[in-house]
Amino acid sequence: MVCARVLQLLALACLGSALPARVEADYYLMVVPQSPVLEMGTNFTATCVIINTSEVTADDLYWTLAGTTVPKEQYTKINGSALNVTVPITSEKTEWLMCKCKKKTTLFFIHNEGKLIHGIDLKKGYVPGKPENLSCEAVQQKQYISTTFSCEWQTVGSQTATVPTSYTLYTAVLPGSGQPYSVTTQKNRTQVKLGDTFPHYMTLEVWVEAHNKLGKIESEHLKEDSGWFVKTDPPSDVKVFSEKSFPTSLLINWTHLIPTIRLKLTYRIRYRQNGTQNWTPVPLGDTASDIKSFRLQDLQPYQVYEIQVSCKNAKEGHGYWSDWSTIVTKRTPEARPTSKPDLWRVIAEGDGKNERRVQFICKDPVLANGRIVSFDIKIQDPKDKVKNGSLEWKNIPRSSQGKITDLKQIDLADQKSVRVYINATNSVGKSDEASLFILAKARESELAPVEELKVFPHRGQLWLEWKPPNSTKLVSEYVVEWVGGAQIDWQKEKRNTTHTAIKGHLDKFVCYNVSVYPIYSGWIGKPARKEAYLEQGAPLEAPIVRLHKAGRNQATLNWTEISQGSRRGFITNYTIFYTSGTEVHNITVPANTASYTLTSLSGNTKYDTWVKASTIGGSKISFNHSFTTLRYAPGEMEFIVVGVSLGFLFIVVMTMLLCVYKKDVIKENFWPQIPDPGESTIGNWSPDYPLKADTPRENGLSGISVLDMDVCDGKCVFEEDKASLSLKKGKYLSEEHSSGIGGSSCMSSPRQSVSDSDEGGDMADTTASTVQYSSVVPAPPSGYKGQTPNSQPQQALFSRSESTQPLLDCEENPDVLQQEGSRQSQRSPPRPPRFTDGADPAGIAEQQELLEPLDFCPLGEDSEQATPVDGQAADWLPAAAPLSSYMPQLGGYRPQ
Amino acid sequence: MNGHVKSMNFQQFMEQATTLLSLLLVMAVDSTRAVAASRNQQCGNPLQQTLKLSRLIQKESVDLIKTYKASQGEMSDLFCKVSVNNIPDPNISGMEHSKRIVSIYTHLQDFLLHFNRVYDQQTDLQSSTSPLLTELEIVRARSIYLGELINSLYQSLFPNLPVLDPAGRPTTLPPPQNVFQQKVYGCVVLKTYKEFLLNVFQELRTLKKKKLCIRRI
Repeated sequence: MVCARVLQLLALACLGSALPARVEADYYLMVVPQSPVLEMGTNFTATCVIINTSEVTADDLYWTLAGTTVPKEQYTKINGSALNVTVPITSEKTEWLMCKCKKKTTLFFIHNEGKLIHGIDLKKGYVPGKPENLSCEAVQQKQYISTTFSCEWQTVGSQTATVPTSYTLYTAVLPGSGQPYSVTTQKNRTQVKLGDTFPHYMTLEVWVEAHNKLGKIESEHLKEDSGWFVKTDPPSDVKVFSEKSFPTSLLINWTHLIPTIRLKLTYRIRYRQNGTQNWTPVPLGDTASDIKSFRLQDLQPYQVYEIQVSCKNAKEGHGYWSDWSTIVTKRTPEARPTSKPDLWRVIAEGDGKNERRVQFICKDPVLANGRIVSFDIKIQDPKDKVKNGSLEWKNIPRSSQGKITDLKQIDLADQKSVRVYINATNSVGKSDEASLFILAKARESELAPVEELKVFPHRGQLWLEWKPPNSTKLVSEYVVEWVGGAQIDWQKEKRNTTHTAIKGHLDKFVCYNVSVYPIYSGWIGKPARKEAYLEQGAPLEAPIVRLHKAGRNQATLNWTEISQGSRRGFITNYTIFYTSGTEVHNITVPANTASYTLTSLSGNTKYDTWVKASTIGGSKISFNHSFTTLRYAPGEMEFIVVGVSLGFLFIVVMTMLLCVYKKDVIKENFWPQIPDPGESTIGNWSPDYPLKADTPRENGLSGISVLDMDVCDGKCVFEEDKASLSLKKGKYLSEEHSSGIGGSSCMSSPRQSVSDSDEGGDMADTTASTVQYSSVVPAPPSGYKGQTPNSQPQQALFSRSESTQPLLDCEENPDVLQQEGSRQSQRSPPRPPRFTDGADPAGIAEQQELLEPLDFCPLGEDSEQATPVDGQAADWLPAAAPLSSYMPQLGGYRPQ
Repeated sequence: MNGHVKSMNFQQFMEQATTLLSLLLVMAVDSTRAVAASRNQQCGNPLQQTLKLSRLIQKESVDLIKTYKASQGEMSDLFCKVSVNNIPDPNISGMEHSKRIVSIYTHLQDFLLHFNRVYDQQTDLQSSTSPLLTELEIVRARSIYLGELINSLYQSLFPNLPVLDPAGRPTTLPPPQNVFQQKVYGCVVLKTYKEFLLNVFQELRTLKKKKLCIRRI
């Protein structure tokens, strides 16, 4: 501390003597030290000195660092003209430390304000760290080692942009009196040239010096023989030879450009079977000597091998291994198959009953040791063996496509067993025999299957787990068979295997039927089976949705099952979506569902629906299917119709019942009893008056009693009998619904005649068939022909006859009736109804003309119009028309 | 009786002392061997390095002469048959190993001067890309390294003897020569140098065989 203060005072003394001459004219303040380089994490003390003036004292000074005033606690007043400040160096940024004078109002300050400030730039950095992990190498250049010496190291510590760290690489050749080779860099690697030649058999000492403005430090010195740093090229011209007499051996030759006198090399060799990943190294002890060839042994016959060679300085611990040479491939020669062929069978239903179709298939032996050209097969019935001994072998060439050869197909009776033997042949020799037993079908179940078989994908493979069969018989091996589509493959596992992975090629998104067969000393046991996917994905196809049945509030949807090849996974569920345009509803149903009934739908509404089939790998959505719900629920319409019908039927029945039970009342109301004129007593008292002669008279105008009535009377009558005329509405007119004594012929029946001439024919029929009864208006006794009217005034009575007795005229003169009907049908349009009785029509017209002047006002006009409304009046016309002819009887019809 | 007893005690004492001395002798010899092995390792490495480098240069000098002859055009064999004066003697002189090593070092320095002269002459005669120049550079550089190794070996073998003088004795270089003389001179220098290197190698191998490092201890 004292020492530092002494140094500081010394510096100030120097300043006092040196600076004034130089900066006198420029500044009144001076900060020392100038342009310091500071180490991060330390404290820095600067002094501000007042020079060439006594106007300002140390009390007027203050410090700022990076524009911020430094607190006074960090100041130290040395004397009246010097002020210290101590600041910690914490930021890497370059900062300005300024010494300033407080503002004063003195004239001196105002004139020299720009000279009362001084600052220094604080450059900050770190002391360089010691470089670590120095390593160097000299590579091969043709037949020499390059003089370019490359080194790299790890830098330690930080550095700042203002105080960067440089690295100088030194390389000294020992023993030697010369200066070491050196080169400086800012990076952590560099190269140095070692004279005109690489210093073989000399010692190299290498080190790195890290240095900056704050100091320098050297790395550990690397002092090794020059060969220690050498990295050669890999051996060139590597060749591999196979010799037919050595199927398990390959000979490797190589050369190297570096002469042994310059650098003695050692080699390493590695090899692998073509297509495998792992290399097999040759033990270094076998290749330690300076060799140029090597023989690989214990290889597999007829296998392609890849071989690489590398080299380094032979001196132990010296030099770096070169890169590996380029891969050289060579196939070893063929040898006799040293393992059995892999025999298997596929059993299917045979053509005949109780028969199986057995296809024998096989794969090349695992140790085929060459190209298998054919298989020899022998199928033997165990019983035949006893009888005939061994059968002949049959040679089957190996399949040229794929690894599985179809050997032979036989039809085997269910109750028969066979044993099959095969061997494989290559160009060198034959393999040992493999055999397989096919049991009688009934006995297959005797050999228990494996238990609790599980098949699951794991890390890109399909794994199987099972438990051994619960059987007293000993399992000799297992066969794992997998069938995907039309592809079948299998592999054999040892007896103690309980879990394995399928080693054959499996495709993603394909459903495999995996079976595990226990083999009991060659006898194939009952298999355990599972379906599995190596990887599941979204289905390729979506189910096709169709409306099966639609109701008012529900609809049944059916969808198709996705084909096996398009499922690409196990369907976990189906999700049914449906919407009527606003909200989408969805329902998830199990995978085994192919139909679903949507409920709570709105009637007469269009719905869009689609189905999503999901697997664990994804899902597929079907196309939209639209349907519209019904307006009425099924049966609802029928219910209404039936209800209405029943109601109608009920009414009808009730009406009929009413008619039946109230027949008399109805009859009395609608068909009042009409006295039979024939039986009337009046006929008795005028027996000489023939009925026949009277009839025409009754039908003719002469027989008609004319009712002389005024309008008022007519109306009254009309009102009274209104109900009875209801049927006369429309085009049916009751013109002939007349009444009249003697005129109550067919025409006086309540038939409905049509005023329209076009319907005349129908009218005739109607008349002929329906006119059975007539309404007879009872006339006053005085109205009857030949009767002497009662002198006593009778009360006006105008009621219908209720007689159901057929009119005599109709019964006695049907011809007349028909003629009348036909005449009516031939009538030209509306014509005033008239009665025909065979009289001269001209006379009738004449009578009608006579009637016209009569004051019959509104009623007569109405009748001419023949409108349904006026029909009522028309009814009255016939009675009015013959008015003049019946004038004498007029008084007899006047209502009383 | 007492005399016999005394004799017996003395005999036992002598046996114990002999055993102890034998044990100490064995321990001393063993420790000496350990030190010898250590020292052998210290001087053995420079000797081994020097031996290998001299062999390398000698082999490369053989190739160098072939390259030299190939690069000199016609009558190259004739150039090498002509004798030239003032070429250093390829033989190593001296009776003691130290003297012989000094002789090797001195001759090497002499040859380097002539070698440099040949290099300079061939630089004028050959194109800059000539392999001869490359090989001359390499042999010259290795010869310098060889001189450093011999010096180091000498210092490790004979640390109490005066340090070898790199300047060596004064050597007479030939006066300016014409091209023919240059080619003849070059071939003679290279041939003589090759012989010298062979002698160096044999000398060093002799040193190695004699296990100088061990005997010196």
